[in-house]
Amino acid sequence: MSALICWPVARATFRTRLRSPGPWLVGFLFTVAGAVRGSRHGAGIETFSGPGTIWFIVLTFALGAAILSDEIESGHAQLVLLRPITRAAWYGGRLAGGCLAMGLFCVIAWLATFSAAVARGDGFDPMRFASLVLALVWGCAWLSVLTCLGAFLPRWTNAGALGLIILAWILLFGIVATLRPAWAGVVETVTRFLGPQDPMIFAEPTKPGRDLGPALYDLVWIFVPWVVGVAILNRRELARRRA
Amino acid sequence: MDDPPALELRSVSKRYRLRDGGEFAAVDSLSLEVRRGEIVALLGPNGAGKTTAMQLALGLLHADAGEARLFGGDPELLATRRRIGYGPDAPLFPKELTGLEVLTLHGELLGFHHGDAKDRAIRFATEVGLAEPSRRRIATYSRGQQQRLGVALALLGDPDLLLLDEPTAGLDPAGVAAMREMLVNLRARGAAVLLNSHLLSEVERVCDRVLFLKGGRLLRTHEMRATGLRAEIRLANASELLARVPQMFASGLDGNRLRLEIPGEDAVPPLVRKLVEAGAEIVEVRLIGADLEQLYLEIVEGRT
Repeated sequence: MSALICWPVARATFRTRLRSPGPWLVGFLFTVAGAVRGSRHGAGIETFSGPGTIWFIVLTFALGAAILSDEIESGHAQLVLLRPITRAAWYGGRLAGGCLAMGLFCVIAWLATFSAAVARGDGFDPMRFASLVLALVWGCAWLSVLTCLGAFLPRWTNAGALGLIILAWILLFGIVATLRPAWAGVVETVTRFLGPQDPMIFAEPTKPGRDLGPALYDLVWIFVPWVVGVAILNRRELARRRA
Repeated sequence: MDDPPALELRSVSKRYRLRDGGEFAAVDSLSLEVRRGEIVALLGPNGAGKTTAMQLALGLLHADAGEARLFGGDPELLATRRRIGYGPDAPLFPKELTGLEVLTLHGELLGFHHGDAKDRAIRFATEVGLAEPSRRRIATYSRGQQQRLGVALALLGDPDLLLLDEPTAGLDPAGVAAMREMLVNLRARGAAVLLNSHLLSEVERVCDRVLFLKGGRLLRTHEMRATGLRAEIRLANASELLARVPQMFASGLDGNRLRLEIPGEDAVPPLVRKLVEAGAEIVEVRLIGADLEQLYLEIVEGRT
C-alpha cells in the first residue's frame, strides 16, 4: 500500500485542506442543507441529493482545486520528492489526503442529516450507511479526476477547467435536445459514460439495492484518472528535469 | 578499495534554450567531487551555475552531458536519498502547517515512526533556534525563520551528504554562528558538505576546499589548508631589529608589522621563540587564513 499512497503526505494534505476556510464554509452549508432535509423516509440520500448535491459538488471542487499545484509551485514538492518516496506514492498521498478531508465533511453532513431524521421520528435504516459510502465513492471519483487534471494544469485551473467542461457539456446537451431532439438519446447515452455517475440509485428508499452498477463504475473513475495522472506527472517531471 | 566520493560530477553540462533560439550554458563541463569528512564551497557570481550544479548532483535536473553520482550510484535511488540532506536557497513550505508538522512529515518520509519523527522534529527545531516558533503556522514565519526551518529539514536524517544553497541568507549573526558549529560537527562525524554561499568569511572559517565558478565553468580549485596561514606579528622595536638583524626581516616587514607565511598553527611557538631570542619585543600575534576575498577578486573578477 505504501507504494501507492504515502500516508504521511496524505495526513499533511488532510491537515492543509482542513485549515483553509473555503472547505469549512462550503461544508457548513452542505451540512445545513442535509439537516434541513433529513426526514424519516429519506434513508440518508437527502444529504447528497437536492441542494445537498450542489454543495457536495462545490465541496469536491474546493478540496480538489490546486491539490497538486499547491505543492509543486511552492517548491515543497521538490523537497518531499528528494526523500525516499516515489512520485506515484506522493500523488497517491495527495489524492488520499483530499479524500480523507472529503470523508470528514461527508460524515459530519451525514450525521447532521441522520440526527435530524431521528428527531423527526426515523428509526435505524442500514441504507443510511450505504448512502454515505456511495457518496464517498462518487466524491472520490470526482476528486481523482481533479487531481489528474492537476497533474498538468497550474494553480486552481484544474477545478476551473473541469467546471467549464461540465458546463459546456450541459450546454451542448441542451442545444442538441432543442435543435436535434432525435440525437438527444445518443448524447444522454454518452453522458452516462462521461465522468462518475450518480450511484445513489442503490440506496433509493423506494427500491433499495436495485442497481450497484453506477457505484462500481465510479470505482473505475477513481483508479483510471489516478493511473493516468501519475503517468502525466512522471512525464512532465522528467521533461522538466531534461528541459 | 577506496570509498567512492559522496558526491561526484563528471563533465556535466546543462544548457537552456533561449527564446531567441540561442542557448545558454548554465553549467559547462563541470567536474567536481566531495569526499566524506570534507566541506567544500562553491563560490562565484550570481548566475555562475552554483545552484544548477547542486540540482544536477541531486538529480533535480538532468544533465545534457556528463554524469552525476552520489555515493558512487544514481542520485535518484531511494536508498541514496535516505542519506542526503538538501537546503535550497529559498525554501517554501505549506503555510497552513506548523514548522513541527513539516519536520515530522519529513521525518516520517525518511522512515521514522511518527513518535520518533516528532521527537527528532522537536530536537532539530530546537537546534536551529525554532523551539517556540515551530509550533506556529509557517504563514507567520519571517524569511530567516523559514531559512532555519530549511536547514533543520536538511539535517533531519543525520545525512551523510549535505547540500546547502545559501544557508546563511536571511540568518542573524547567532544563526550564522550556529550554522557554522553544525557544519563543523557534521564534518567531525564524517559527513560530506557542499556549500553554496556568498559569505566569504564563513567559507574561510569552515571549508576545506573552495571551487571558483563562473559562467558554469570551474575556474580554479583552492585548497584552504594547502595555502597555510599567515602570521602577522606586531613589534614594538621593528626598526631597531631591522637595523640589527636585517637578514631576519629582509622580507615581510611592513612598518612595525612582520608578515610571514607559516605551514600551520604548530609553527607559531618556535617562530615566537626565535624572534624573542633575536631581541624582538612582540606586542601582538595574529593568524590570518587565506585571503579569500582577494582570491575571489583575482580568480573570478580578474582583478589583481
